[in-house]
Amino acid sequence: MTAQVPVAVRARDVLASEWTKLRSVRSTYWTLLVAVVTPIGLSALVAVALANAPGGGAPVDPLLPGVLSQEYAVLAIGVLGVLAFSTEYSTGLIRTTFAAVPRRRAVLAAKAAVIGALALVAGELVAFVSFALVQAVLSGHHLGVSLSRPGVPGAVLASGLLLFVVATMGLGLGAIVRHTAGGIAALVGLIFLPAILGLLPAPWGGRVGRFTLLDAARQVTALHPATNLFAPAASLLVLLAWPALTLLAAALLITRRDA
Amino acid sequence: MIEVDRLVKRFGAVTAVDGLSFTVRPGHVTGFLGPNGAGKSTTMRVILGLDAPTSGTALINRRRYDTLVRPLREVGALLDATALHGGRTARAHITSIARSNGIGRQRVTEVLQLTGLESVAGRRVAGFSLGMKQRLGLAVALLGDPPVLMFDEPVNGLDTEGIAWIRQFFKALAADGRTVLVSSHLMSEMAQTADRLIVIGRGRLLADTTTAQLTESSARKDVLVRSPRAAELAGLLTARGATLTREDDGGLAVTGLDAPAVGDLAAEHGIAVHALIPRTASLEDAYLDLTGESVDFRAGPSPDAGPSPDASPSPDASPGPEGVRAR
Repeated sequence: MTAQVPVAVRARDVLASEWTKLRSVRSTYWTLLVAVVTPIGLSALVAVALANAPGGGAPVDPLLPGVLSQEYAVLAIGVLGVLAFSTEYSTGLIRTTFAAVPRRRAVLAAKAAVIGALALVAGELVAFVSFALVQAVLSGHHLGVSLSRPGVPGAVLASGLLLFVVATMGLGLGAIVRHTAGGIAALVGLIFLPAILGLLPAPWGGRVGRFTLLDAARQVTALHPATNLFAPAASLLVLLAWPALTLLAAALLITRRDA
Repeated sequence: MIEVDRLVKRFGAVTAVDGLSFTVRPGHVTGFLGPNGAGKSTTMRVILGLDAPTSGTALINRRRYDTLVRPLREVGALLDATALHGGRTARAHITSIARSNGIGRQRVTEVLQLTGLESVAGRRVAGFSLGMKQRLGLAVALLGDPPVLMFDEPVNGLDTEGIAWIRQFFKALAADGRTVLVSSHLMSEMAQTADRLIVIGRGRLLADTTTAQLTESSARKDVLVRSPRAAELAGLLTARGATLTREDDGGLAVTGLDAPAVGDLAAEHGIAVHALIPRTASLEDAYLDLTGESVDFRAGPSPDAGPSPDASPSPDASPGPEGVRAR
């Protein structure tokens, strides 16, 4: 048994393992379907509502419908992330996983890579399809923008990040909380509760709100960024800091606790 | 080889494993016995690097588990057969674990065949019986063709046929020169599966012995003698220093003299003897003696041993198949 290649479990193998796990359960397909179809459908509806608003031609950001509707995909994609760890902990499968790969952070990294990639693809798909739909509706009312306009491609690309951010954050929370319901509750709490702070009277709404995940996402994806929040570049950092910190906490806890 | 050295594992105020040391060697099926809550599963989790020991070490082939290269090729373990995602098919479950250690599709198919799961490989495991799940767990343990194997309560929930099948499997693995550790809380089960026994209670080592030695060492040993002139024989035996107990059916239970001595004594005095049976306590009794004080929760009389732990004649440690079915 000593003739083995003297390398520990390889990153590629752990990735292959996690990819196999992800595509062999139905919940992956359901959550992805909901996360893709819901925002695409909603964005078109929001665009129609905006275009026919009584104010008529109100100075609304033409990219807003696409971003707003993605917020309705947050729950589904977040659940996908949470489930990746919480089902392993609740069934006890995590022990088989960690016995096969004793480097637990490699498991966390592989899950984050696989789920992150899937959510990113889904997010960009939603972003560009929604954009096309929304602009088709708005252009009929001369409110639309073209993808060739400066700043638009970047904003659309950035809006596709939201699903990636939420999925990886959910994954981290699943590893931290180790229960499905608890993980989802934590995710909803961290994303939506701070959003209330953005409603505080000025200037506090902006001072606090600029650190919240949803305000950061809107700022990153806006054609006309709000002035009371961080600049888009800094907001992008805020947006990515949420999953980064969650995964960091998960990485610290995952090796310290008994499986 | 598995080496556990002065292992201690505490969960808060509870000490699950308390200074446990033992070695499991290749070539035998070693039974890991103890009442529920004795610390068997905790010890196995520590060996697999899943729980961190409070102090002490657990080594596999002289290395800590988390330093093993491709662990599935060195240790195969089945801790909990029901630890599965019900929505996955048997093949997807095994494949996902195989891939993490660079084990290919061909081996996945092989272990499915070895455990007789080929025909149900494409079915979701939620519909599997406990016996099928045990087979699936065994298939995973065998994936890397490892020299060391550990099974936690593998016969729980199996039917008679399944028990016979898995027992043969363990014996074949040991005969291959592998190290096989099988935990159980049932002595009757281990009596037929294991050559060596490690008995623990409340996290401490109670015995590290062979199955035969454990029976031998049991305090309860006597000779049953029946004679038409029992009263006369009783007097002679007492005079020789034996201690007698009269059994309900008129037989005499003799301690302090062995069977040949009792027979010779009767012959010297021309006393007919109708039965002369050397008796040892059953393995079950020996186990109960050993663990009697270390059982955490005791229900009625002997919860594990069935209705009545019969101290009946058991000439050696090979009870018939009835013993299995009765449990």
